Amino acid sequence: MTATRDPVFTSTKFVDPTPAPKSVPPVEEIGLTSAPLKSASFFIGQYCKDYNADFMLCKNENNDPEHCLKEGRKVTRCALDLIKKLRENCDAEFEKHWKCLDVKNQDYYQCRKEERQFNSCVFEKLGLQKNIPGSPEGQPQINEKRNPIMKPHQK
Amino acid sequence: MANNLELLQSFSHQPLMSTPATQDLPPPGGYSEVKYRRYLPKRGPSGLVIFAGITAVCAFGFYRVAQGNLERRELKRENLWSRIHLIPLLTAESDRDAFRRQQAALNREAEIMKDVKDWKVGESVYNNTKYYTRPSVVVVPEDARQ
Repeated sequence: MTATRDPVFTSTKFVDPTPAPKSVPPVEEIGLTSAPLKSASFFIGQYCKDYNADFMLCKNENNDPEHCLKEGRKVTRCALDLIKKLRENCDAEFEKHWKCLDVKNQDYYQCRKEERQFNSCVFEKLGLQKNIPGSPEGQPQINEKRNPIMKPHQK
Repeated sequence: MANNLELLQSFSHQPLMSTPATQDLPPPGGYSEVKYRRYLPKRGPSGLVIFAGITAVCAFGFYRVAQGNLERRELKRENLWSRIHLIPLLTAESDRDAFRRQQAALNREAEIMKDVKDWKVGESVYNNTKYYTRPSVVVVPEDARQ
């Protein structure tokens, strides 16, 4: 993450109201809470792989927030584009999954049923697949495992 | 001898051997068998079987624990990668905000220090051009204070 610190007071909350300088093109922020982001994160990682890698390489070059604004805008636009596509194609499944994550402590293993429906829908409509790098080969990924040991404790 | 017996009888008031002599004998057919062995009913599986059973149950339990540990490792990996995929997006957003606040701070600094001669706005305190994170100094306007 950035090395910047949010100016948060313990007594009052203050947000600097100054708008961004005109030289920076405006970009719509992603505006999602953690649960939808977590639900879509593997698809964001796959769909926006090039932009994300470009941005991270840029950040590696220089950690100045000003240095990678252009790449950052591309990253955000790409993610927004994907979210829009998800909303158009798999709205119900997406909503079901992230609402489940929201309730179930954001644990993937507690929402496998919803996740399977969401993943299959995204694969059919958008051709994106959930790949977890570094998973052991020769056995199904943890999200596709039938009858896992770690199951939700409550139905 | 006969005289002696007669003499003895003549002295005693009771006849000496009025009933025929009897001997204590076992009942007809003999006594029943004496049960000297302890009689204990069968008490379940042997110790060896119980020991083997406990070993088997424990072995199965440990196998499940090991499988569960491997599975938890994969769950952790999944969680970690979901966060890694979001890092660029979140960093980009916070960078934009940081840049906006930084520019505002520099403008404020320029406004405050406009009368000071040779003042360089946003000059690094270090003698190099490498980026460093500035201290977060926030000037809260009067009307925003509580």
